Amino acid sequence: METKSGASLRTPYRVGAALAVLAVVGAACSSSKSPTTAPTTAAPSATSAPSATSAPSATTAAGGLGHVGGSVSVWAEWTSTEQADFLAALKPFETATGVQVNYAGKGNNTDTAVESAVAGGAPPDVALVPDPGTVLTLAKQGKISDLGPVIGSEASNFGSAWNDLVTLNGKLYGVWFKGANKNTIWYNPAEFTAAGITSPPTTWEQLISDEATLKAAGITPLSLCTDVGWPVADLWQNVYLKTAGASDYNKLATHAIKWTDPTVTTAFATMGKAIQSDYLLGGTTGALANGAYPDCVDKVFPKPGTAPTAAMVIEGDFVVSEITGNSANYTAGTTGKGGAKCTTDPSKTPCYDFFPFPAPAADSANNSAIQGAGDVAMLLKSTPQSQALMKYLASPEGGAIWAHLGGFASPNKQVSLSSYPDPVSKLDAQELVNASSFVFSLDDLQGSWEKQMWQDMLNFVKDPTTSNVTSIEGTMDAQAKAALGH
Amino acid sequence: MAVIAVEDFEREAPVAPPGGAGGRLRRHMGSLLFLVPAAIWLLAIVVYPVVATVRYSLFNETATKYVGLNNYKSIFSTNSILLTFRNNVIWVLVFPFFVTFIGLTLAVLSERIRWSTAFKTIIFMPVVFSLTASALVWRTIFDTDPHVGVVNALIMTVHDWFSPPGAYPVDTSAGQTVASLASTGLRPGPHGTLLSTSTVSPGRTIELGMIGITPATLTALNAQRAAAPSPTPGAVTGLVWRDFSPSHPGAKGKVFPDEVGLPKIRLALVRATGGTAATTSTAANGQFTFSHVGAGAYRVQIQSSNFTAAFTGVFWLGTKSLTPTGQLSQTEQALLSVPLVDVAMIIAYLWVWAGFAMVVIGAGLAALNREVLEAARIDGATEWQTFRRVTVPMLMPVLIVVFVTMIINVLKIFDIIINMPPGSSQGDANTLALAMYNFGFGNGVHTGLASALAVILFVLVVPAMLWNLKKIKG
Repeated sequence: METKSGASLRTPYRVGAALAVLAVVGAACSSSKSPTTAPTTAAPSATSAPSATSAPSATTAAGGLGHVGGSVSVWAEWTSTEQADFLAALKPFETATGVQVNYAGKGNNTDTAVESAVAGGAPPDVALVPDPGTVLTLAKQGKISDLGPVIGSEASNFGSAWNDLVTLNGKLYGVWFKGANKNTIWYNPAEFTAAGITSPPTTWEQLISDEATLKAAGITPLSLCTDVGWPVADLWQNVYLKTAGASDYNKLATHAIKWTDPTVTTAFATMGKAIQSDYLLGGTTGALANGAYPDCVDKVFPKPGTAPTAAMVIEGDFVVSEITGNSANYTAGTTGKGGAKCTTDPSKTPCYDFFPFPAPAADSANNSAIQGAGDVAMLLKSTPQSQALMKYLASPEGGAIWAHLGGFASPNKQVSLSSYPDPVSKLDAQELVNASSFVFSLDDLQGSWEKQMWQDMLNFVKDPTTSNVTSIEGTMDAQAKAALGH
Repeated sequence: MAVIAVEDFEREAPVAPPGGAGGRLRRHMGSLLFLVPAAIWLLAIVVYPVVATVRYSLFNETATKYVGLNNYKSIFSTNSILLTFRNNVIWVLVFPFFVTFIGLTLAVLSERIRWSTAFKTIIFMPVVFSLTASALVWRTIFDTDPHVGVVNALIMTVHDWFSPPGAYPVDTSAGQTVASLASTGLRPGPHGTLLSTSTVSPGRTIELGMIGITPATLTALNAQRAAAPSPTPGAVTGLVWRDFSPSHPGAKGKVFPDEVGLPKIRLALVRATGGTAATTSTAANGQFTFSHVGAGAYRVQIQSSNFTAAFTGVFWLGTKSLTPTGQLSQTEQALLSVPLVDVAMIIAYLWVWAGFAMVVIGAGLAALNREVLEAARIDGATEWQTFRRVTVPMLMPVLIVVFVTMIINVLKIFDIIINMPPGSSQGDANTLALAMYNFGFGNGVHTGLASALAVILFVLVVPAMLWNLKKIKG
């Protein structure tokens, strides 16, 4: 398996990289739009972080760890703001155990960096990686420790959807610390109000009928992100997950199901209904011409001085940093009565909100199957210090601190939902915790044909007719076969 | 620049060890010794990478398993890679010719105008600019939105001159139709009009509902709350209103308090037997009156001019093919289509390199033997004849150097492809060099394919390079 970050990680990185290449804008963007980042603006000041409401009481401090002393080295992908937030989340651990944390932020190459360090014989004590595949690979090689004896009952803080991803031969090898949710459709509540839609859709059919309602109200329903194809792939993967279910999704990811399978055709047909040309901003042509990320988000949640030109945009929870970056005026969440206060004018009281990506009514069982990404901690060198840290990472305390700071969602059931600063991040985290199954971005598992897959997805947007779908499926199956060898 | 590098190379060339008799070797010992650092350097950063690339091209994506020529096979059997060859061919066929031609024109022109230094400086400037910045500028110039891209803005000006958009333009680019705007009491009429489903006679009223009107349009036209029309003897009165109520989004056909009239709609009263009886347009609250109407049955027609589509921009950076591709298979399409984005990029790239061609050709012009030109003129040759029969042939060696240098340049073309087209067109605009990069770095790394592409690119560039070297030497 490729050692790469999940799609949501890749995504802003690509944007950041493009900007950096593209001239003067500067590399800072890539870090500010970094992966699983949600907003940081809503967070209270960092210094006051572990406030009375979020920090657990003294008796349970640092997961009940006593003094250990010494130091522990930790690698993860987080840099700049996220690095500061992560270190803030580790503060109580350092205080309680006296262990000094030596952190190194490895950016987008964390998986590669960790694997090379393991191969080179000088790995850090603990590493958090954005790809559970890396954990399983290292577990097979016997390079990381079974966490069962280390974290004990803390393992039950995570749903089986999460633990299963990092379990090999019945042994748990990873602790999920941070999650990212792609099961989201973001909408501008004021636009929904203008179209008389009082509550967001809960089924795919309702989504389509709401699109028709928006259209009747003269509001363009959807700003489709196309970019080089990855947002379309993200969307398609959501549709496939919701129509075929997690089990088929994982089979398709490894090409155990062919791309010519009827489930694939169903997903294309289902998605096609929502992205028909007259539902898209600028039609299909406009979506292809102007669908770059994050421009497509700005169409729905613009900067002050411009009005929104579409009502919805479909991407993962990382869009929040883009929205709140456009204007600090944006208020999170508005479902129900609050929605009346929202304005379309971004210089007044604009709002943002999301609704969970809905499955078709007949497939509602798949509603809690969630596509996303996450960072998982593994124990590379077992020392008293590193074991204490793993225990702490599995406890809810660190997550609660970062949750309070904003831009964070924890897969840990014990992290109180009241730790989150706003209703949107709360619902976001709630979805992660309650996921019946959690799947990673399928395109990232496709090896060398990933970019071809994105291109195929764009071809589908260009021409969603049945005959073209048949031809695309044939192409995709051949590409998958060539790249994966079966 | 290239010329200088080549001269350096030549100066070194004769010093290379002849590998001959011991005496000669001893004689050259000193010089050989001095060559060692350079040789090691060359081996390490040129020879070794070349050999390693060839080797990698025979291995799998992680360079761990020998796969023979499989990478080459898949390159030539994958449509999305095959089209990079097509694009390279388009670039090589079109670009070097035009850039040489434009460079020649500009060089000759710059000799004959005042302020020629300023002229040359301006034309040469894009060569100095970052190619990435140029690509971004041209991306904006070709932007689809006529309010952003200057090319589409020009077209829009002309388009609106001939066909001004209506007050309620349909978004034809998104597939919106006039028929889709009809909601209550309306059906599609002839020639893009909407026609009332029922007939109306003087002294009666009629209510016509439309949907899909953007809130921005309503604000711009200052639409007022819809009011029910009152019957007037001898006149047909009525209402055209937005049949969409945010408080009752599903309910059609009834005028709710939060619904507005549609102002400035041009209407015609047509006889049931055919022919227009009267025309009028709606007020701010959507009401209209056809006064002094003779008895009979009429239908109200909403004129097509209300819906004339606004120009929404040509997708210059799109993948629409200039050659017909309808009947072609996917592989044929990959090989034979000429996407519009290629043309846009070639134009941008011409802007970048025309100055370079002009300067090199200008240098050649300056070095021309003026006596020959003078002789031609004395013999009665016109300016054009002098240019065509004397200047160009004498300049030919320079023109060919520019031409071949540009062939090499566009074979490796990369920066503009990665920066100018929107993401959705990048796959169709892809070239060998960019495909190599895409497989070599980022998501979905395949070292084998990337190396094989590098080898192919190398093989393609070598003949042009050798030819250029030979030309410069000769």
